[in-house]
Amino acid sequence: MNRIINYLRDAISGVLSYFGQTKLRTSLTLLGITVGVSSIIAIMTVLATFEKSYEGLVSDMKTNVFYITKDNPVEISFGNIGRGSRNKPNITWSEYEQLKRSLSLTKNISATVAEEPSERTISVGKNELKNKLTSFWGGDAAILSLNKYEIIDGRNLNQQDIDNRTRVALIGYDIKEELFPYSNPVGQTIKIDNLPFQVIGLLAPKGEMLGQSMDAMIGVPISTFLQYFSGRNWRRADIMLILESESMDTIDAATDEAVGVFRAIRKIPPGGENNFYIATNDQLMDTFGDFTGSLTLFIGLVAGISLLVAGIGIANIMLVSLTERIKEIGVRKALGARKIDIFIQFLIEAILISLLGGIIGIILGLAFGNIVAFFLGQDPVIPLNWVFYSIQICASMGIIFGLYPAIKASNLNPIDSMRYD
Amino acid sequence: MPKSKKEIIAIDSISKIYHLGNNVVKALDDVSISIYENDFISIMGPSGSGKSTLMNIIGCLDVPTKGVYKFNNELISDMNDSQLANIRNEKIGFVFQTFNLLPKLTSLQNVEVPLIYSSLGRKERLQRSEEALSIVGLSDRMTHKPNELSGGQRQRVAIARALANKPSIILADEPTGNLDSKSGVEILNFFDELHKAGNTLIIVTHEESVAKRAKRRVELFDGKIVIDE
Repeated sequence: MNRIINYLRDAISGVLSYFGQTKLRTSLTLLGITVGVSSIIAIMTVLATFEKSYEGLVSDMKTNVFYITKDNPVEISFGNIGRGSRNKPNITWSEYEQLKRSLSLTKNISATVAEEPSERTISVGKNELKNKLTSFWGGDAAILSLNKYEIIDGRNLNQQDIDNRTRVALIGYDIKEELFPYSNPVGQTIKIDNLPFQVIGLLAPKGEMLGQSMDAMIGVPISTFLQYFSGRNWRRADIMLILESESMDTIDAATDEAVGVFRAIRKIPPGGENNFYIATNDQLMDTFGDFTGSLTLFIGLVAGISLLVAGIGIANIMLVSLTERIKEIGVRKALGARKIDIFIQFLIEAILISLLGGIIGIILGLAFGNIVAFFLGQDPVIPLNWVFYSIQICASMGIIFGLYPAIKASNLNPIDSMRYD
Repeated sequence: MPKSKKEIIAIDSISKIYHLGNNVVKALDDVSISIYENDFISIMGPSGSGKSTLMNIIGCLDVPTKGVYKFNNELISDMNDSQLANIRNEKIGFVFQTFNLLPKLTSLQNVEVPLIYSSLGRKERLQRSEEALSIVGLSDRMTHKPNELSGGQRQRVAIARALANKPSIILADEPTGNLDSKSGVEILNFFDELHKAGNTLIIVTHEESVAKRAKRRVELFDGKIVIDE
C-alpha cells in the first residue's frame, strides 16, 4: 500500500516538474485531448438542453392526439425536406371534410396550416412589427386547446368564422406588446400583408421554447388562411390534420380507423403503401430520440478520431520523455526500482497527462456548451454522464497509449541506461 | 584474513561471458572472492580488466554466466530481475563516479529515491533522508538541487542516498574520479569514517592514492583476480 502511495506522489511531482520544464510541448499534447473532450462535452451539453426542452414540449402535448400529415413534421423541422415528399399528394381540404364525416372513434378532428416562421408583414396603422412571426397559422376552434394556449381576452375562432371565411385573427402576447402597447387589441384592426383583420382574441403569454418566442404568432380561420394566403389553387394546398381520440386507451383503435378511412378516401389498394404520414405524439418523440441518437453516434465518431490522434500524441510525448530520461530510469533501477515500479510510474504519468487534458476539456466544453445554450434561451445543464464517460475515456487513453512507452521504459537495462547521455 | 567476521558476500568461481558478434569475450574468468563485514576493499585494475563487470555483479546489477554468488547466504545468481532490484534496494548502497543524482529533485528528494521503492511510510522516509543528509554534513542543503551544489557536495548527497537504506555494503565506483583533489580527499576521509563506524565498503578505482586508503586490495587483470591482500 505504501508503495502505491509512494508511486503516486512520485509520479505527480514528476509530471508537475516535467510539465514545468517542457511547458510548450506538454501543452500541445494536452491541447489534442482538450479539443477532443471539450467538443464532446460542448455538443452533449447543447444536446442535453435541447432534450430537456423537447421533453417539456412533449409533456405539454396531449397523449390522445395524433396527426395526419404529408411528411414526418419532426424530420422536416430538422431540414430533411425532400426524400419522397415530392411524390406524395398534399393533404387537402376536401380530404379533411370527407374524413371528418366518416370517423367514429375520433372525438375531434382539426385542420391546420402554418407558416413557421412567417414572412408576412404585420402592421397597425403606420407601425409595422419588427420581427418575423414565429408562427402564422390557420385553424379552427380546437387548435388553441390542442396547443395549450389560453385566451385572456376576447373569444376563440368559431364555426361561423370557418364557414364564412371571416377576416378575424387571434394574436399572441408579443404582438399586443409591440403593436398595442397601451390599448386593448380586441376589436381593433390589424393588417396582414395589407389585408385588414379584426382582432377577436388575445392569448396568454407562453414564453420561449427552443429559443423561439411562442407568443410571436397570429392565428386566423383555416378557410380564410387558405383563401387569402395559399395562392389561387387553395383547394389543393397542403394542410395538417390533428385528431383526438376519446382517451389514451382508445388512441390505437382511433389511429387504425383513421388510417383505414384515409386509405379508402385516397383509394389505396390493399397492400399498397400509405402515401401520407400518421403519428402520435409518442412517435414524434421517438423520432427526436432517433435524431439525437444518430447525432450522438456521429459526434462520438468524430470525437473518437480526434481522441485517437490525441492519444498518439500522448504516446509520442511519453516516448520523447522516455529517451530524455533513460539515465534517470537507469539510476532509479540501480537504486532498487523494479520493472513494475518503472512501468507504473510511466503509466501514471501518461494517465495524469491525459486526465489533465480531459479535465481542462470538460471545463471548456461545459462553459462553451452552456454559452451556446444560453444564447438559445435554454437553462444551463451539466451532462454528468458524459463528464463521467470523458474521465473514463481519458484514463483509458492514458493506459492504452502509455502502455508501450511504459513497457519500453521498464525493460531498460540499468547498467547501459546509467551510461546513456 | 579475519575469519571471525561475518561473511556477507561469497563469490565462488564465477565467469561472465559476452558474445560480441562472433567473438567471445570473457569479462570475468573463474573469479572467487569473499567479503566480510566491515571490510574496506579496493578493487583495482586497468580498463578492460573486468573490474566494472565484477562491480556490477557484486552490486546485483548483472548476473554471472557461470558460478555461484551468495549475498548474506541468499543465492543471487538464480534471482530474477525484481528480486535483484529488491536486494539492490535493501542491501546495497551505490556511489557513482558521475554522482547520478536526479537533476530535478532536491537533495532531500534525491536521498529519498531508494526509500520510495522500499515499503517505508512517508514520515519514516523523510526522517531517514534527513538523518542521512546530516551524517554527510549537508543538513543545510536539503532543499538545494544538484546544480546548486559543488562537486564534493553532490557526491556527499550521493553518499547520503547510499546510506539511506542502511545497506549491508556500500559500493563506490571511482567516487573521486570527477572531483578536484581537495574534494576527493574530503570524500575519502569520509569513507574512512564510514569504515570506522562499522560499514562495509568496496571502492573500485584505478588511483593508487584511493586504493591505499583501503584495508584490503584486490587487483584484476584479464578477468582474473591477480592480487588479493
